[in-house]
Amino acid sequence: MFADESPEWNLDFDNSDTCEECGEVGAVIHLLRVENGSVSHIRLCQKCAENLAGRTEGMALVLAVPAIVGRVGKAKEKGETGPSPVPTSDSQVCTVCGTTLADVKETGMVGCSVCYQVFGDHLRNVVQGGEEPPAHLGKVPRQGSASDIHRREVMRLQRMLRELVECERFEEAASVRDRLSELERAAPGGSV
Amino acid sequence: MSAAALKASGLGLSRNETGIRFPHAEEATALEDLQQRVEAALKNGGWDEPWRVHDLEELSPAEMTYLVEKGLMSPGFADGTGEGRGFAVYGDEVASLEIGGGDHLRLLGFRTGDELSVLWSLLSQLDDRLEGTINYAFDPCWGYLTSHPEQAGTGLRIYATLHVPTLMLTGRLASIALELVASGMGLSPLWGGAGGIIQVSNRGRQGKPEIETIQEIEDISRDIVEKERSVRKMFMRENPIQVRDHIGRAIGLAQHAWNMSFPECVNLLSAAEVGLELGLVDVPGLVGQAAFDAMRRLQPAHVVMEHMEAKQSGLESPEIDQVRARMLREIFAGARVLS
Ligand SMILES: [Zn+2]
Ligand SMILES: [Zn+2]
Repeated sequence: MFADESPEWNLDFDNSDTCEECGEVGAVIHLLRVENGSVSHIRLCQKCAENLAGRTEGMALVLAVPAIVGRVGKAKEKGETGPSPVPTSDSQVCTVCGTTLADVKETGMVGCSVCYQVFGDHLRNVVQGGEEPPAHLGKVPRQGSASDIHRREVMRLQRMLRELVECERFEEAASVRDRLSELERAAPGGSV
Repeated sequence: MSAAALKASGLGLSRNETGIRFPHAEEATALEDLQQRVEAALKNGGWDEPWRVHDLEELSPAEMTYLVEKGLMSPGFADGTGEGRGFAVYGDEVASLEIGGGDHLRLLGFRTGDELSVLWSLLSQLDDRLEGTINYAFDPCWGYLTSHPEQAGTGLRIYATLHVPTLMLTGRLASIALELVASGMGLSPLWGGAGGIIQVSNRGRQGKPEIETIQEIEDISRDIVEKERSVRKMFMRENPIQVRDHIGRAIGLAQHAWNMSFPECVNLLSAAEVGLELGLVDVPGLVGQAAFDAMRRLQPAHVVMEHMEAKQSGLESPEIDQVRARMLREIFAGARVLS
């Protein structure tokens, strides 16, 4: 019983990112709504979306997602105007799976895990707006090397420490700091 | 208000194998090989509970939909086609595994109530075990890799099912949706919006630890349900006749209809639950989570599989609406509007 995300809900309607209300470029939100049983879709900038939200009496809004979802394929224009794009050719290819940069731009999908390295610049540009992706602080495969797992735990605790200090929870911060120094002593292969 | 904020909790955990292409780009033989290796691992002992491996070819449309309605299979997987696709259910339907869908593997868990953390620890354990068979595609910066780079990361989708008919009918859901989107969440209807049942879900890449995102979704869900409850009370103060009329009519229909579509049925149960929470009605057949449970049981394939003789009669049979109406009359037997 998971909400359906079939193509009609996936909002990949066309390549435009202009707001349908005011015509400005830079629509950031898709809204789907049900009115009298029929589904309609509208692509809006933040401002128009807020205006619309204020006058929706009687209308059942049922879905809203950020426009970035599913937009990797459309980043061609964005990539060219983005910060310091690395010169790449569309014929650049992942030799492991045969996917080309043109494919990635067309479909928004990569073919294998090696693609993440081959097309790393493009993907960072599109998914992260050119910035480094946020460090992965979630679960990691157990088969990862011990030092990988250790490094990740240290990163996780360092972040926790920062947040605890920011909201002045010093007692908890102190125990996190203790745990960190323990870890640093036990670091496989020396200091971190 | 003691009722749980979440009517149901759902998780989907995506994983891919390194060394082969993602499903959309891979050839049938490699995907079939993967399917066979995974199914062999599921059939081998060593799991706390047994897996039941299904043959997708042999499932009838009603059986397939039944799995989707139970939250054991995602709608996208049910609609999919291609080679090397497999499906298995864990234990007493506490979790399931899709093989060769949009990702090589996708673990699913679904249950009623506030159970996200419990589900996560179960899926995480199963994930650890599967790792003995599958070498996961993982990158220290991106996290777990998938064919859709904007979804690389934890691979975890979290779905919190909420009952918010008043927010939906008054349009207040729109502004809530905007706030959600601003914090990287999405909102979708579960049954086409019937009964004001929605699912709040995380969207896109997140580097955060799984449990933090779960916590965030739980907090957001509780806030939304709080708003729903306060808007209900406000409505009751300002338009008591309108509210009582709406709920009273729902009870009457539920007690006396002989033909009942699923969306209408969800709307009636939804109204009855609002009536119960506002203390306007007495429905002995509905207590606690029961309204949502009743909605689940009254889904089309549930009616066919659990209450009809001709299980192959298909999901178009007009008899379904008649059986559903009868079941609804039974639930509402003895229900009354309080004055
Ligand atoms: Zn606009
Ligand atoms: Zn590749």
